[in-house]
Amino acid sequence: MAGSGNAHLRSDALLRAQDLVVEFPAAGGRKVYAVSGVSLDLMEGETLGLVGESGCGKSTTGRAILQLPSPTSGSVQVAGQELTELDPDAMREVRPRLQMIYQDPISSLNPRRRVRDIIAEPLFIALENVTRRTAMATWQERIGGLLQTLLERLAIPMRIVGLAASVAFALWILSEAVEERAAEPWLGWTEVPAAIIGFPALAIALAVAAVGLVLGLTWVLLALMLPFSLMSRQFGEVSAPVGIAGVVVTTGASGFMLWRTWSSFGGWAKWVNSGGLGLLTAVLVVWLAASIANPERAGASGVATTLSAMVVLQVFYVAGLDAGVKLIVLVVSIVVDTLLLRWVLRRYRANRNAARERAEPRVREVLEYVGINPDDAMDRRPWEFSGGQAQRLSIARALVSVPQVIICDEPVSSLDVSVQAQILNLLEDLKNLMGLTLVFIAHDLAVVKNVSDRVAVMYLGKLCEVSEPDAMFDEPAHPYTEMLLAAIPQPDPEAELGSGRIDGELPSPMDPPSGCRFRTRCPHAAQRCADEEPEMREIAPGRFVACHTPLIGETAPERVEIASAGRGAS
Amino acid sequence: MTDTSMTGFAGADEQPLLDVADLRTTFHTAVGPLVAVDGVDWSLRPGARLGVVGESGSGKSVMSRSIMRLLPKSRVTSTGSVLFDGIDMMSLGRRELLDMWGPQLAMVFQDPLGSLNPVMKIGKQVGEGLRVHRDLSARAARAAALDLLEEVGIPEPHRRIDEYPHQLSGGMRQRIVIAIALACSPRLLIADEPTTALDVTVQAQILDLLETQRAERDMSLVLITHDLGVVAGRTDEVIVMYAGRIVERAPTATLFGNMRMPYTEALFRSIPKVTDDSHARLEIIGGQPPRMTDLPTGCKFAPRCKYAQELCVAEEPALIEAPAAADSNDGGARRRGTWRDDDLDDDDNDGGAPAGAHLYRCFYPVGTPEAAEAFERNVASGRVSEAGVVIRAS
Ligand SMILES: Nc1ncnc2c1ncn2[C@@H]1O[C@H](COP(=O)(O)OP(=O)(O)OP(=O)(O)O)[C@@H](O)[C@H]1O
Ligand SMILES: Nc1ncnc2c1ncn2[C@@H]1O[C@H](COP(=O)(O)OP(=O)(O)O)[C@@H](O)[C@H]1O
Ligand code: SF4
Ligand code: SF4
Ligand SMILES: [Mg+2]
Ligand SMILES: [Mg+2]
Repeated sequence: MAGSGNAHLRSDALLRAQDLVVEFPAAGGRKVYAVSGVSLDLMEGETLGLVGESGCGKSTTGRAILQLPSPTSGSVQVAGQELTELDPDAMREVRPRLQMIYQDPISSLNPRRRVRDIIAEPLFIALENVTRRTAMATWQERIGGLLQTLLERLAIPMRIVGLAASVAFALWILSEAVEERAAEPWLGWTEVPAAIIGFPALAIALAVAAVGLVLGLTWVLLALMLPFSLMSRQFGEVSAPVGIAGVVVTTGASGFMLWRTWSSFGGWAKWVNSGGLGLLTAVLVVWLAASIANPERAGASGVATTLSAMVVLQVFYVAGLDAGVKLIVLVVSIVVDTLLLRWVLRRYRANRNAARERAEPRVREVLEYVGINPDDAMDRRPWEFSGGQAQRLSIARALVSVPQVIICDEPVSSLDVSVQAQILNLLEDLKNLMGLTLVFIAHDLAVVKNVSDRVAVMYLGKLCEVSEPDAMFDEPAHPYTEMLLAAIPQPDPEAELGSGRIDGELPSPMDPPSGCRFRTRCPHAAQRCADEEPEMREIAPGRFVACHTPLIGETAPERVEIASAGRGAS
Repeated sequence: MTDTSMTGFAGADEQPLLDVADLRTTFHTAVGPLVAVDGVDWSLRPGARLGVVGESGSGKSVMSRSIMRLLPKSRVTSTGSVLFDGIDMMSLGRRELLDMWGPQLAMVFQDPLGSLNPVMKIGKQVGEGLRVHRDLSARAARAAALDLLEEVGIPEPHRRIDEYPHQLSGGMRQRIVIAIALACSPRLLIADEPTTALDVTVQAQILDLLETQRAERDMSLVLITHDLGVVAGRTDEVIVMYAGRIVERAPTATLFGNMRMPYTEALFRSIPKVTDDSHARLEIIGGQPPRMTDLPTGCKFAPRCKYAQELCVAEEPALIEAPAAADSNDGGARRRGTWRDDDLDDDDNDGGAPAGAHLYRCFYPVGTPEAAEAFERNVASGRVSEAGVVIRAS
């Protein structure tokens, strides 16, 4: 709270998160203590505001509640059901009942898909996953999750390396072709073209090889785990025969590519190229299979991209064959690919249309709730909307599966004041209409006050104060709340500015202060604050504070100008 | 204190630091010309603080970039005059501009990470301008950079000077950007939404920093934001922009005390205030900001304005001067396109800015009986709800 304790929790809450701890590993074996023992609860139909400075752990708390990822320790109960103990399958069943709305509306919606499909998506996830739980599914899900994280982390380096590798590869092939035709020793003056093309290619390829060596091991690992886990991500649970067939097909295809490239290169190029192409093939095969089996999630352009990438792969492969065979293989494969593409697309469309039809009435309904005309909007794509409209779309998407709890992570922070007001009013209306239960995360106190029934103030991974908003804003009880309040710019030129001086920055969550975490910036800090962590306690009816000397009540210290707060914080 | 010293605008008696006249910037887009800034006039006294407010897309950034001459090279034209201390910015070549940026004008952008070089140490980035403009040695530049870091409140400057931007928090990065902008002691600093990406406490710190530095260096400051709360206590004069135009311009206290433009009023009312009760209904501006390639004729705000009448749709109101607060309501305002329109000048301020004038662009200004009647009529016709939200654009 800036201490701990659960005095503020109530007995009959819809959602109850207790002693949440989230720690992330950091460089040098250190740890980021992002959330350190936060307890929150939420009555049905209530809006809980969560405020605090950037980096204090608001989003991490919100995500921990949704098990994205699960907290390091602590419990989360929704309607009596403990979420932290659910296995992935059961969690997937629960997921549609818990939704999230993000800060940046446009980038949180898939830009390539139409509004009708984006909004309907949670419905399909809800329908699709009522499956048996098996040990295998759990295992697949775990590796899939790990893989997903790995792929996300590696996305940019892989893309760069991939790009460089393909440029180098293309140049290499070109230079070889030129060289072949010249059939003379490397670097004779007639071979200038070959040298011109070859040298940069060599330079790039060498650079790639260096990175490639590092990534090589990762690739091997990925390639081994890939088929099974990617499939389980895409298909849900994979039954053993299907899984084995998938592994055979994928490993076969990537093994073949591996072998082809392996035998056509020498030295380091063998490793880099065959590793890369093998992996690429595996990914493409799985993606292709997934898009055939699960068209709602894949999207037509995904299918097309996959197929065209396969054609490119085939061309690479064909480049290593004799001239006559080359032509035949090329023609056959193009014909096969075209037929395959047609078949896939037709299946995709049929599936998609059926799915759309099923979802349409519900999608229309929620679009109308959020004040967007379904006839105008259904077939457009997210980037054709303004920020405010896009935020309405994300709200519609969150509403479509009739969630019990919605976590809104800074839903208005990136919007203009005028649009912000529209979204805040909309949330208020929807709450009255449907009895929504919301966690509303924001750093703007005025916004939080406007929407919340209860406000929790957070500082560096801990709670400071939990209270009903009007009382909290009239008379902040925690020194940090007072400081936050002082920071708000008042739209009144007469308002005093001097009293709002804020000093210091949030300390590093890798090395939080002892005792009360706010003590390095608190104007009232005393020795006790460094020695002893304050417990959350009720200092007035409905007002819970974690501070040794709260600002209200008989022990209240004399008010100190915030400006005099310790400057030493870094 | 004279009028002029209280307000940001230069009076007739004083040479303005910056004088923007009839500035117009057009992007030539695929769907036709987009006039992002449309005939903007204002000037700024040395040491003054000007706030520029408007929704996103209203042309605030394009205006400041036009003044700095930082627009893209192709498919854009910018006309009008921008005089900086008598120098015509529009006629300067690349070389001369490089000499202006830094020691004369500097700019702070919204996204601190985007305006820093990710692979250059902070100390080097801060000292770079000094080496170029002041011919300092690497050593002297480093020492100066260290002082600057200290001045902008970076804790442990000795350690930070050798770090890279990604090692700093958002607030500290913005301090670095400010240090870079301040390095050559510019006479004018344009801060384009310097705190929009930051949270409230850091915002307060950065705004305080800008203010202390401005006062210490006797620098002029243009503070661009979409949040009226930010400019309230920190500027002398405020310009409100809508669809590339100035729609209201007044000394800060006058603007907040006596706003005339329905748009300013609507913007003000839509801000949630801590002093309101929780769950208080916010007043909203209905509809969307206008599409800049397809502006309505008449008043650009008319489709969203709760007072709009037929006249507003037919004819665009000119920027006129409100009667001084003392003799208010003496039958309305004098017509005054801009204060440079000599033909319209009928009194005192010939050829100069009316110091502390309150200009607005509206036929039915807020607070007048005409506006009240217009609103009544709109409610009666069902165009506007009782709460003042436009239900259907006329
Ligand atoms: N995946 C991660 N790995 C390591 N550290 C993390 C990770 N995610 C968050 N953190 C750290 O945990 C702390 C809390 O982060 P969080 O995103 O929850 O902050 P926040 O309060 O939501 O801030 P903001 O207002 O900027 O969104 C921060 O110090 C952040 O750097
Ligand atoms: N490079 C550009 N090309 C075309 N249009 C632009 C460009 N930059 C800005 N615009 C348009 O100019 C208008 C004003 O933009 P801007 O000044 O960035 O608004 P803001 O007030 O949010 O700073 C907007 O309609 C915007 O889309
Ligand atoms: S008074 Fe002590 S316990 Fe209370 S907030 Fe300040 S440092 Fe923490
Ligand atoms: S009243 Fe008319 S002129 Fe004034 S802002 Fe509204 S629409 Fe424009
Ligand atoms: Mg966050
Ligand atoms: Mg801008």
